[in-house]
Amino acid sequence: MIIWLLSDYDHRKHLAFKSLLTRFSAAFPSAQAEFSVKSRHSLWESLFAHLRDPKRNPLADIIEIPQNWTELFSKLGLLADISSKIEALAQRRYPEFILKELCHEDARAFSAPWWLEAPALFYRAQALKGAVSDPETELASWEGFRAALDRVGAGARRGNFRALSVPGSSGSVSVADVLPRVWGRRGGLFSDDFNRATFTREETAGGIEDWLELAVSGKIELFSPDRFENGPRTPEECAFMISSRKIQGSGRIGLKMLPYPGYPSGGGLMLVYNLAVSASSRVPDEAQAFVSWAMEPRNVAPFTESFGVFPCLKPVFEEHLRDERESDVYRRLFSAPELKPNIMVYPTAELLLERALWNLSLKIARRDYEREDLTRELIMAQGEADYLLSLY
Amino acid sequence: MKKSGKILYDADPGRAFYEGRDAFLKAALEAVSQQFSLDGASFYEYEEKTGLLRLKHRCAAGVSFEHEENLRPVPGSAAARAIETLKAAVSKSPGGSFLYSPFRFDYCDPAGGRSVIPCFGLVRLERSPRKRRFSPAETARADAYLRSFLRDYYKAEFFSLYRKYDKNVAAITELTEVFATALRVRDSFRHILSGIQTYFGFDRVRLYLIDEKNRKLKGELSADIRGQIKSIAYEEIPLEPGAHRFADIVLGRSSGAFMERYKDCVLYMPMAVQGVTIGLLIVDNLLSQQRIEPEELAMLKSFGGQIALAVDNSRLFDKVEELSLYDELTKLPLRRYFNQRFQEEFYRAERFKQPLALIWADIDFFKEVNDTYGHQIGDKVLKETGRLILSNLRKIDFPCRYGGDEIIILLPQATGAEATRLAQRLSQELAELRIPVPFSKTRELRVTMSIGISTFPADASTQDALLEKADDALYWVKSHGRGKISLYSDVAEEKKKAEQAGGSNNAVK
Repeated sequence: MIIWLLSDYDHRKHLAFKSLLTRFSAAFPSAQAEFSVKSRHSLWESLFAHLRDPKRNPLADIIEIPQNWTELFSKLGLLADISSKIEALAQRRYPEFILKELCHEDARAFSAPWWLEAPALFYRAQALKGAVSDPETELASWEGFRAALDRVGAGARRGNFRALSVPGSSGSVSVADVLPRVWGRRGGLFSDDFNRATFTREETAGGIEDWLELAVSGKIELFSPDRFENGPRTPEECAFMISSRKIQGSGRIGLKMLPYPGYPSGGGLMLVYNLAVSASSRVPDEAQAFVSWAMEPRNVAPFTESFGVFPCLKPVFEEHLRDERESDVYRRLFSAPELKPNIMVYPTAELLLERALWNLSLKIARRDYEREDLTRELIMAQGEADYLLSLY
Repeated sequence: MKKSGKILYDADPGRAFYEGRDAFLKAALEAVSQQFSLDGASFYEYEEKTGLLRLKHRCAAGVSFEHEENLRPVPGSAAARAIETLKAAVSKSPGGSFLYSPFRFDYCDPAGGRSVIPCFGLVRLERSPRKRRFSPAETARADAYLRSFLRDYYKAEFFSLYRKYDKNVAAITELTEVFATALRVRDSFRHILSGIQTYFGFDRVRLYLIDEKNRKLKGELSADIRGQIKSIAYEEIPLEPGAHRFADIVLGRSSGAFMERYKDCVLYMPMAVQGVTIGLLIVDNLLSQQRIEPEELAMLKSFGGQIALAVDNSRLFDKVEELSLYDELTKLPLRRYFNQRFQEEFYRAERFKQPLALIWADIDFFKEVNDTYGHQIGDKVLKETGRLILSNLRKIDFPCRYGGDEIIILLPQATGAEATRLAQRLSQELAELRIPVPFSKTRELRVTMSIGISTFPADASTQDALLEKADDALYWVKSHGRGKISLYSDVAEEKKKAEQAGGSNNAVK
């Protein structure tokens, strides 16, 4: 049995999975399981390569996917219907906001929600001294956060200190970076009825522009040479961090948490990752058994805890929320959560936006970026997304 | 399931063979990590144009994983020096000790082209601050070790290119055969599309053909990435400038009319035969957003002429077939086609115990029309008769120009009475018809028809008998004044009465 795991910037996820698999092998000695870690891009390519030439490009038996890839790849026939095979799915033991995007047309489900993360703002109270007097109020809006960044940055440019750190960054501005802010401005990639793309809508383009502005103004460093040489900044070296993960030892270093700027009352975009069983698996029973086993509270809890995310399974999710140090903030975050729409063309639309952001990132890094570049890139990406909508 | 990334022959660097690039990277990073007691090892590709190092693979704490990160080395740093000089360099920072081992090799396109494919990057070896730094001797050893491994990378890359090339050769051979043997429209379009889909593996292939008569570009078929083919006949695009992007491409009003690429993922290929555009083939990777490789574009372009010819051939074949089965003048099927359908309909009627009626009609005095007014007028009479018949039949009825001015109509599931009603309608409409004859005194010509009808199973139990009885009924009409309709059963009744009367009536023989 082969498992494809999505690569993560936090290496602890890979190690946690390795340990999970070791425990599975110990519990089921007859089951032969191994895993490989694939980047998002490589996983996407492998899934399409299988569609093009299934014999030469076999799929793994179990695949970890972003939840909003489910519709696309189930419609393309790559994922097996596991709704009745996985106990957690059959009994719908997930929070309602997750179930809502799980399956559309019928009760069938082609992937099982596994873990989720919620983008949030972290700050070191000590680093904000003199710049922010009431973080809860001043950092509630994006504008407040942005002004605070300027004040913090101006007063403390020394050594390795940075005003803002984004641990999950891939070097360029990515869709994962901009979407929480786009959501914060009530934007999105498609209209509510999914009849047209809305990349250029003021709320969407504005959300993207807000994040790009951080790069243009140097608040975040694109393709960071410093990161290549020294790795990501530690929380002690930053005033703010935007992260969707719980930060280890945050209490010890005086790190506090707030909802993502622009969501004063909480809510916002959550990112969910699911496990799917491939339709072409030669060991479907074994694969389903593993997914069921991985979803069990005693297995999913330590796995998610190890890299600072939440389990999707409702009882474990609620237990985590109860025990969380920043449980008040998390309760606000999870008060009105939204997931990326699980429609067939959404993953492709993200790729179109990713390409636009890559081009813009290169321009920003070369210092020849202008506002019109964003408009032009978004118009082109929107045109392609609209065309896709007309086809699929 | 086959394990991906498995070393096939040998784990020794320089002599191993890997199943693809990922397998190589995994093995190389794991081996070097173990050999030199590393805490991490990463494989980066270097993009000269942007100056970015692109992380592809990493091995840390005993786990290998793919990862994507695009970072720029600090100018003057050990990594930058390694890339610039292509010599190993080391550095030490609070983050630990690092060794950068660069590589650069160019290999020729296995397809025999002149292009050279560059492969440029570096491997970073890492040790935590607590561990010893890389000594010059160890640096040299590690660099040599990696270089021997990279020979395998070269082989893996070359092998994957060769596999691609090999696949392309197979595609050329098999597609040529598909296109050459594509004959019938319905089948051949499917074959062509599935052939393209099988060997190129695009997200979608669509075929549009020009309907010259209506000046439209009409959708024919679409094949998706799963090989499913469906009709797109509902798509009709007016062939006018500016009406649609596809119309502009076909009309040559779009830039790069022959091969136009739309953002790397779409290829519009107008199809032309002897300089005349007959349609448009569109392939796209829009859903996957994967780039259509230049060599695929080139190959598809080279196939463009063949595809167009195959499409045109199959259309011509259908046209020829139509000509051989249908009478050009009356547009009615010919006798050969009728014989085939008659057999099928007769079997069906027998099997399902349904009635089958047969009308045999003859245009009265048609020879005289030809002799008096000439063949042009005779042809007009036939043409109008054919039009009139076709406009009065149900979909399941089957008419035929049986020969000369004789016309037969098969009426499945019809009784004698129903056939008679149709015959009456045809007779009446024909009688009302005025054929203009400019050079005659009357300026017009009127014609009538004699019609005989037989039915299965009432009148006959075999095909031949059914034809024979209809012919008998027709003969009865012709010998009793023409311009009338007779059912064989009535004729037989008449004949019986005459025989009983002991008369010498010879109307029915």
